[in-house]
Parts: sequence; C-alpha cells; structure tokens
Amino acid sequence: MLHNLVEWLLSTRLSQTIQEVEWIVPTLQTIHILFIAVVLSSVSMIILRVLGLVGRSWTIYETAERFLPWIWTALIALVITGALLLTGEPKRSLLNPVFQLKMALLAAMIFITAAFQRSIYGNKGAWDQPALPKPAARLIGGVSLLIWVCIIIAGRWIAYVSVP
Amino acid sequence: MNIGAICRWLDDTQLAAAIREWNGLFAIIETFHVIALVTVVGSIFLIDLRLMGLASRKHSVRDMIGEILPYTWTGFVVAAISGALMFTSKATQYYENFPFRMKMLLLAIAGINMLAFHLLTFRSVAKWDHETSMSAKFAGGLSVILWIGIVTFGRWIGFTILPI
Repeated sequence: MLHNLVEWLLSTRLSQTIQEVEWIVPTLQTIHILFIAVVLSSVSMIILRVLGLVGRSWTIYETAERFLPWIWTALIALVITGALLLTGEPKRSLLNPVFQLKMALLAAMIFITAAFQRSIYGNKGAWDQPALPKPAARLIGGVSLLIWVCIIIAGRWIAYVSVP
Repeated sequence: MNIGAICRWLDDTQLAAAIREWNGLFAIIETFHVIALVTVVGSIFLIDLRLMGLASRKHSVRDMIGEILPYTWTGFVVAAISGALMFTSKATQYYENFPFRMKMLLLAIAGINMLAFHLLTFRSVAKWDHETSMSAKFAGGLSVILWIGIVTFGRWIGFTILPI
C-alpha cells in the first residue's frame, strides 16, 4: 500500500517540480529546521518548568498557556514542510524505517502534548498544587523531552540510513 | 597567517582522517551539531522575540536572559566543538566553500551584535526591563535575521560539499 502511495506521489507534477527546482528542498529543509528550534524551545520551557528548573516565578498553568500555541503552530508548519519534502522524495521517506520511527515517535508526542493540554486547561490549579508536580508527571516530562530529541536525531538520520 | 596552509595541515592530521574514514563518526558529530544548533537558535529566538516586544511581554527581560542564556551558551559550545571537528575533517574544502564562509561571517556579526547588546544596551535594562528600548528591539530583530541566515547557509553547505 505504501508502495502505491510512493508511485502515485512520484507521478504528480508537484513532486517533479520539487525534484527539479534546485532551491526548493534546501529552502524547505531550512524552514523545517527553524520550526524545529521553535518546537524544541517551547517544549523545553514547559518541561523544564514542570521539572522546576526554570521560570519558577510563573505557574505551570501560565507557562503552558504561553507556549502551547507556539508548539501547535510550529507543528503545523513542520507537517506542511515535511509533507512537501516527502512529496519530493517519497521513497527516501515513506519506505525508510528511520522515517517511520520518527513518525511513530511524533504521533506519541502529539498525543502526550494534547493530553497534557487537556489536563492543564481542564483544571487550572491542579498542576501547580503542590509546588512541584508528582514524580510521575516529572518523569513523563523528562522522557518526553528525550523523545523530542530522538525525533530530531531520527530526522537527521533519514539521510544516513538507506531504504531496504 | 596562511589559512590555506593551516587547512592543509588540518586535512593531514590523524583526527581528520579518522573522522573521514571511521564509519558513522561524522554522522554522530553532525547529530550533536544539529541538537546543539536548534537549542541555540530556539533559545535565542525566545529572547529576541521578548526584546522586540512581540512575546512574553509580562516577563522581565533580565529574568528571561538570566534563565535562558546558560542553555544557549551550552548549546553554542557543543555546536562550536562539533563544528570544528567536522571542519577539521575537510578543512580546505570547507574553507573554500561559499555558504560556509557566509555562515562564519554571519556568526561573527551575530557575535558582535550580542557583545554590543551586553556591553551597551543591557547596561540600562532597569529602565526598559518591561517596555523594551529601541536599541534592544533592534538587537533582537537583527539577531533573528542573522540566525535565520546562519541556518540557511549552514544547510546549504550540506548541498555543496562533496560527500566523504
């Protein structure tokens, strides 16, 4: 099924244009990298706050409120640039196990971010009582940051792992 | 100072050979570079948007800079070391590469911009800690433009340097 999708994408005018016009892929990648920086810093500010390492003069609720919109906006930009990159090189992405791993980890992180958002907006004070969140919350925060970093690493390693 | 001679000397070192020849070593070094650079760019954008008065307006500039800059510096050190290692592996090629030269130039300008900000503008921060001054706005805006340029030229290097 994936192979059919790859063949179809390769046949589109969009795919051919992206492959032929030299500056498109580097430009898309550059925009992709800049929005990765936005996601990483936004996610880090929330997680580091949950871990009690930065911004303690602000509540976790205030920190989440401040950075969640940036995370979602950047993720949309990343999906758009990512989809265009994929369209230009469907074999290199869709059939690559490293890319597939990146997508799986990304799906997990989108789910965790949405769950966190629902939890924190659903009960304004809950995350800020007591002063430091439960160990479980902090552990999930720490692991989440690690997974975001793994997503970035996987993104770079798409280029280094060949399609089987 | 004959930079060309220094580059040729670097190219001939055991270290350069190792990075060129040991399977995956360059990719690992580059991975550290990628994580470090998105940390630097992401954290700098946080501060720049604050300096321009476009985000986090309720937050004191002094507090933000104090909390975020350690991460920026750590990232920068890792990026510089990993960058130096990658440069060493093909010093002459990188030195003669146009986007590499532009990236180094913009990094130097960004460094001067930061220095000027810290030595001059930041001195009077007590007066504009909440409503930023024109020179703070300028420093922030210039920084954003420079770092977008640095990322752009950085990615461009990858498309113009011959693979190992």
